[in-house]
Amino acid sequence: MARRPPAPPDDPALKERFEREALPLLPNLYSAALRMTRNPADAEDLVQETYLRAFRGFGGFEEGTNLRAWMYRILTNTFINAYRKRQREPVTVTDEDVQDWYLYDKLGEAGVEASAESAVLERLPDEDVQQALEALPDGFRLAVLLADVEGFSYKEIAEIMGIPIGTVMSRLHRGRKALEKALWETVRERGLVAD
Amino acid sequence: MSPIDCQQVLEQIELYLDGELGGSLRAEIEEHLGRCGPCMDHSDFQRRLKELLRARCGCDQVPAHLLDRIRALLAETHGPPLD
Repeated sequence: MARRPPAPPDDPALKERFEREALPLLPNLYSAALRMTRNPADAEDLVQETYLRAFRGFGGFEEGTNLRAWMYRILTNTFINAYRKRQREPVTVTDEDVQDWYLYDKLGEAGVEASAESAVLERLPDEDVQQALEALPDGFRLAVLLADVEGFSYKEIAEIMGIPIGTVMSRLHRGRKALEKALWETVRERGLVAD
Repeated sequence: MSPIDCQQVLEQIELYLDGELGGSLRAEIEEHLGRCGPCMDHSDFQRRLKELLRARCGCDQVPAHLLDRIRALLAETHGPPLD
């Protein structure tokens, strides 16, 4: 198939299509950027840079393919390139002491009925849940964010992050366990269960 | 083939809830969950944990000026360049 020639600069129809299709993604992209950068000023910069890069590359975007995943790939790459190198943080999570079903079991041990366990979590303020996610190291945080908050498939996450599907699965599993541990600590600090 | 047991179901629950299982395995897990209270409790908890993350971490208020800023940025930017 012959490659479609790139659109000329300032093609009004292309700009109009970009705005129509890409701008409605702003609320999701902004939330994701906040979870990535952990602060509003950086999140705004990241989102603006993402839209700029996406717009410049929009001529190469194949119409009818997944624009949302494409935008998240640009967001993720921009974040990794611009922000990650500034930060010094562990590249792994220590999860040796975190069993599968950690949070479920801990709540059960604290005397919470199975049917009421998720209701305990519902009582956590938004900020606590956000901080638990934001405390995860980048690779794990991005995987959990893309899967659980944004609802992408493993295949899409692999493409967005540029890693194999097996790595996506392992980061999700370990990231979720670390998140459960952080949530459990928050539940105890908030006094939502009896010690 | 013997039916799937609780341990096998719990090992697969993450993939199941992520919508990554297809065909017969998915159907077997659904069938098991329908008749096994403890596995259903585990599954419900994990599902609601995912829902909690989605509800709490994906709905931030976008600053009012941000959309205008992006529109202004696009207006002053040349479109996709010629090769």
